[in-house]
Amino acid sequence: MTGRREPRAVGRAPDPDLADVLAAQTDPAAFGELYRRYLDRVYGYCFYLLGDHHDAEDATERTFLAALGAVARFRDEGASFRSWLFRIAHNQVANALRARSRRRTSRLDLVPEPVGAPDPADGVSAADDARRVRQALASLADDRRQVVVLRFVDGLSAREIGTVLGRSEGAVRVLQHRALRELAGLLAPDD
Amino acid sequence: MQQIPTVAVRLDHALDELAAGAHPALAAATAGLAGEPRVLVEVADRVRSSLPMPPVSSRFEARLGARLSGAVPSRDAVAWALRHPGRLIVTGAVGSAVGVGVTAYAVWRKGRRSTPAGRFLHR
Repeated sequence: MTGRREPRAVGRAPDPDLADVLAAQTDPAAFGELYRRYLDRVYGYCFYLLGDHHDAEDATERTFLAALGAVARFRDEGASFRSWLFRIAHNQVANALRARSRRRTSRLDLVPEPVGAPDPADGVSAADDARRVRQALASLADDRRQVVVLRFVDGLSAREIGTVLGRSEGAVRVLQHRALRELAGLLAPDD
Repeated sequence: MQQIPTVAVRLDHALDELAAGAHPALAAATAGLAGEPRVLVEVADRVRSSLPMPPVSSRFEARLGARLSGAVPSRDAVAWALRHPGRLIVTGAVGSAVGVGVTAYAVWRKGRRSTPAGRFLHR
């Protein structure tokens, strides 16, 4: 017996982050590897849901600080590390949105435009199309927008999204289906 | 008898294919989608390409990295102050009032010293 917990991979793919998580549990400096791996994705998630770079930075910072504080308690018991991390980000985003509603200001109507993207070389029509998609995304209900961002920006599976949102895999698939149908309607030509 | 997967399940499989780099038409065909659900795979592809990963500022990345390694003090105090502008204004007003009071007292003391009685007292 080595004293280290071995990955539990029954019924699912092994967690690719587990070795780094185990290292971070005994040496906080090893958390840097996970930070570098997930900074972009956590920030992207926060950005597309909060619609503001400053708020996204704030939520991202809180997410990683909370994750660093709690990583020692992470257990490989069915949920991957990245779904655990995005669950923390999800809570931070929810807190930010609650604080925003208390201030009675809302930025959700704004269309978040990533700095430097899309590339002007792609042409005006591509930029316009991207803007239309982001506007359509902003008009979706919260749970549908969450699913779209987690699926298409962060690349999480339906099962992982279920862990993040506290729903079943089946419920996420249905949400995803409905979100895409709604987006298809919103993006239909000459609507 | 084997149950036929629902459209939501097949769409999810098509999205997995799409994420793995398959063309939308191929992803839809592989998942056994036709008609409207097939269009949804194309919409998904359009959404995916319209939501690029936003760039993280290098300054933010470096600052947070330093905080995580314990090299930089907490920014929470500043964030707290910015979230409570009313308290910040009260703090500023109290600080200003104290400053004005101290200045007035100093002027008053100096004025008293310059009178004959004051010069006598401070001799």
